[in-house]
Amino acid sequence: MHRYRFVLFRPLQFLPVLFGISIITFILVRLIPGDPARVLLGTRSTPTAIARIRAQYGLDEPLWLQYFYFLENLGKGEMGKSILYKIDVLNLIATRAEPTLTLVLTSVLLSILIAVPMSAIAARNNGGLADHAVRIVSTFGIGFPPFWLALMLIILFSVRLGIFPVSGYGETIGDKLAHLALPSLTIALSLSAVLTRSLRAAMIVALKSDLATAARARGMPENIVFWRHVLPNSLAPTVNLLAVNIGWLIGGTVVVETVFAIPGMGQLLVRAIFSRDYMVVQGVAMVFACATVLVNFFADIVTVSLDPRVRL
Amino acid sequence: MTGPILSIRDLTVKTSIEGETRTLIDAVSFDLGRGEILGLVGESGSGKSMICRALVKLLPSPAIAIGGGSILLGGRDLVALDEDVMCAVRGVEIGMIFQNPTSHLDPVMRIGEQIAEGIRYHQGFGRDQARLAAVDILDQVGFPHPERQFDCYPHEFSGGMRQRAMIAVALSCNPKILIADEPTTALDVTIQAQILRLLLDLRDKRGLSIILITHDLGIVAQTCDSIAVLRNGQLLEHGPKRRVLSKPQHAYTASLLKSHASIPEEGGLRAVTQVAANMTVRPLLEIDDLVVRFPTPGLDLFKKNKMRTAAVNGVSLRVMPGEAVGIVGESGSGKSTLARAILGLTPLTSGHIRFEGSDLAQQRRLTLAKLRTEAAMVFQDPYNALNPRLTIGDMLAEVLAVQGNTSPVGISDRIGKLLDLVELDRSFATRLPRSMSGGQCQRAGIARALAVNPKLIIADECVAALDVTIQLQIIELFRDLKARMNLTLLFIAHDLAIVRNLCDRVVVMYRGEIVEEGRCDDVFANPSHAYTAALISAIPDIDPDKPLPKGDVHLRSEPKAPPVLRRRSLISTR
Repeated sequence: MHRYRFVLFRPLQFLPVLFGISIITFILVRLIPGDPARVLLGTRSTPTAIARIRAQYGLDEPLWLQYFYFLENLGKGEMGKSILYKIDVLNLIATRAEPTLTLVLTSVLLSILIAVPMSAIAARNNGGLADHAVRIVSTFGIGFPPFWLALMLIILFSVRLGIFPVSGYGETIGDKLAHLALPSLTIALSLSAVLTRSLRAAMIVALKSDLATAARARGMPENIVFWRHVLPNSLAPTVNLLAVNIGWLIGGTVVVETVFAIPGMGQLLVRAIFSRDYMVVQGVAMVFACATVLVNFFADIVTVSLDPRVRL
Repeated sequence: MTGPILSIRDLTVKTSIEGETRTLIDAVSFDLGRGEILGLVGESGSGKSMICRALVKLLPSPAIAIGGGSILLGGRDLVALDEDVMCAVRGVEIGMIFQNPTSHLDPVMRIGEQIAEGIRYHQGFGRDQARLAAVDILDQVGFPHPERQFDCYPHEFSGGMRQRAMIAVALSCNPKILIADEPTTALDVTIQAQILRLLLDLRDKRGLSIILITHDLGIVAQTCDSIAVLRNGQLLEHGPKRRVLSKPQHAYTASLLKSHASIPEEGGLRAVTQVAANMTVRPLLEIDDLVVRFPTPGLDLFKKNKMRTAAVNGVSLRVMPGEAVGIVGESGSGKSTLARAILGLTPLTSGHIRFEGSDLAQQRRLTLAKLRTEAAMVFQDPYNALNPRLTIGDMLAEVLAVQGNTSPVGISDRIGKLLDLVELDRSFATRLPRSMSGGQCQRAGIARALAVNPKLIIADECVAALDVTIQLQIIELFRDLKARMNLTLLFIAHDLAIVRNLCDRVVVMYRGEIVEEGRCDDVFANPSHAYTAALISAIPDIDPDKPLPKGDVHLRSEPKAPPVLRRRSLISTR
């Protein structure tokens, strides 16, 4: 199909973007004050020991050469070895990526499941009681900080009701999902609030639009008018808003991961930053950047599939 | 014929906002006979659309409600029916088509699905059965390849085809009554003639009764059997077409008829300019072989020739000082692009524009400076062309201050004089656009153009959005200003009658080229190009004995509408 032709060509644009990101992350990481060797050795650090560690990880080479090695390794699909964990960065990320990605996925699904009905109820009762209720709830959702929401949810569902585990991550799929329920809900409550505000506004406009009037004029009952005509015509702005938020979420789950003790990438990144584990910080940043680029790519595909007029 | 199919008795529609009740439709009564086409005529705000919305009980806001009366259809009073039953009336017994097919069709749903939707819901057809029925209807409304076009989206069609699709949607469940709300206002005249003929055709084949809402008396004269004239929510006059047109009983109807611009005027009124004959005078505006191309949208790495679409393609034109030249053509013919190019608002691809001898392409800075102080533009939409936050006085003061020809002390005096010129009361200096009518806003727009003390005024469809009686006033104003100030006027319009009424010379554009040029009287009397002839014959005449031509007035297959959101459509709606 002609309008999906960009799916073939768009990935070509990723290369310069990723190249730029690699330079920026590489430089930024090295601008952080401190020395990984010193952190690693702690109290045992002597000038000779530091020099040995620096030579071992190539940190004594000139900056441009280090970047060249970094790129060379990237080309071979390697990201170097973690200074702290002493294992390959890619392996390290692989073990940590799964909980974070699952968390993002469940959070996003949950947000959509909350946002669409909420927006529908609010838009169809525009100005009514339900509309005000939805608006108040979404203002709270945006207003409450996630760490506080997380604690409240733990107190209610884990401590009082005992439905979900307090923290940690499971082994089996069911166990994992049970552990992710409260973290996902924490994220979904604020994410769905953002989505609801956008979707509700678009729906209100679409409900009053000419195309809705025309659908009513051919005898379609209000339910069909809404779900078949109004909804598809109001999704596009929210899809793009969601894409921006997913990009932010992938790197921003750290608070929730910390509160719920989920061994994800957020935690990995924070620890790597504190111990000046350059290789890990670089690797995680690259993965986040790739993920963000990919999410926006998928959002474009969704946008095109929603509206046949859009050409990218 | 056995009695009317639809009887409206004392229909009243009221709105109440913050306790204040206003009557929008005031006890209107009329009948619609079987197979009758009733023309509902009136100016904006007369309530003609409101009546039709009330008939299917789809009022535009919850604050507006039917306050009394009855709508009798097949022994039932629609006013008393509740919403569930009304759904079975809408589409099944009363179909509706609207002014703007682009916004009334669902852009993300295939055309055929929108037709089949009603068939499946109301008649319980299965998917394949409904598809067959929809393809059949597409065929009936004139889609050349209905089977394939079922799967097209609305944006893939031109305006005329979209309106055909809209009609197909309305007819999907075989309604007996069709309400058409300004169905051709957004379309070009030749397309308008096709759509009107289609409606007449469908009436004959299906025995439809049609309520046709329009502001154009020519359309009424050509298509309707009877006329109802509305003003301020009241029915002033209702009767057979010929009677109303020849012996209007209400003074307002008579004034509407008089305002209709297609009534030929025999000399006299038009001050014929002599300057054009005097060839020693240098033209004010010289255009030589002008080409304006627009890049096709989107970054296309694989096509070398990106500037593909030629909006203006090799146009040459001379305009003498004091002359009024009309530029006519259908949407997309390049007339607005030409106007923008003359004022330096659009880059020229090739060719020359000389204003008072200085070349826009070669001495761009100098010519632009000259244009800004000696040429001005009046725009189509009087509201959107005015800054809603500025009073008319502030707006004029801004122009005067920028021009710098008026001393700061003299500005308020000059504003007063400008308002006098456009026949607005001086108190309008303190008014904001939103508190003014369309005609008043357009007068303010003209005052702004006059503020630069221009030699040349370019008016781009500047009366298209106005009611006929207001149109006539604005035309009179232009005529008056032209005579008094020796203005040169470039008047762009799709309405040939208005150009004929005002201009000395007319230029006919078609697909970016000038196909005919000459004195108005000559061109309209003896068009030499087939396209001009088609344009002229497609205008519905107010005389019902001069019918629309039977043959296909259309010269070309309709070009596809640009299939892209980003490109602005050149279609001038209203």
